[in-house]
Amino acid sequence: MKEQRYVVFLFPSVNYALKAEKILKAAGIVHKLIPVPRHISSDCGVCLRTTEDKQQDIEKELLGKVEWDKVVLL
Amino acid sequence: MPVTIDARGLACPQPVIMAKKAIEENEQVTVLVDNTMAVENIRRLALKLVCGFSVAERGAGIWEVALVRTGPMVEAARDKSPGIEEGELSCAVPAGKEPDPFVVALSDNHMGRGDDVLGDILIRSFVHTLLQLQPRPDTIICYNSGVKLAVQDSAVLDDLQQLAQAGVDILVCGTCVNYFELGERIGVGHISNMYDIAETMAGAGRLLRP
Repeated sequence: MKEQRYVVFLFPSVNYALKAEKILKAAGIVHKLIPVPRHISSDCGVCLRTTEDKQQDIEKELLGKVEWDKVVLL
Repeated sequence: MPVTIDARGLACPQPVIMAKKAIEENEQVTVLVDNTMAVENIRRLALKLVCGFSVAERGAGIWEVALVRTGPMVEAARDKSPGIEEGELSCAVPAGKEPDPFVVALSDNHMGRGDDVLGDILIRSFVHTLLQLQPRPDTIICYNSGVKLAVQDSAVLDDLQQLAQAGVDILVCGTCVNYFELGERIGVGHISNMYDIAETMAGAGRLLRP
């Protein structure tokens, strides 16, 4: 089995990240709030980590509800 | 005139810290120490600061270490003053004895006071970051609402499990688990008692409480 890579969603602020988390929890999509990795610069200290295969599901879920800055492959 | 520093009977890293301070302020320094670990630490300090180093045993387990400044203090070294970098120091006791353990006490399921929503994000980030911390903690103790971090549906359960797999001992306060009625739901570590918790905290070389 191919090992899943992680992606992180970066948000404009902590509150966006929290809101996104709430939505994903309700939708039952596995994810994890983690500190933004050192090598990625972001004003917001936390980001949402998920496996690459869930990126599209998450984008669909968040679209129109929470803005995000970008998605970065880890 | 060389300045003499008496660092006998002082615990590591005190002698090397005193030596560093003294050589920054004086041309010549003599340091009296009573163990070879301190001698080695001062030898490394001398290398780093580029100053002359010599050591003579005075007998009875006392060493006289002489430091002489050979030129202007190395800029980088002066900038960092008075802090000493981790790499310069070795407080590990040689020959079998383990260094004092590094213990993290999770006494709350939030980090800091003021706002619990924020405190929740912070503690999750903190526990996640423990995995990358070097050196890693030897023991993590969860007590009071900190035990809630160790339950099966905790957001940091996977982080704590990975820490446990990496050899970190995780103690979970039994009284607290009982109080919050979480008995069946603890997902990591082992239930412990106040004897072990107090002993572990008292025996810690470093105790970190977020």
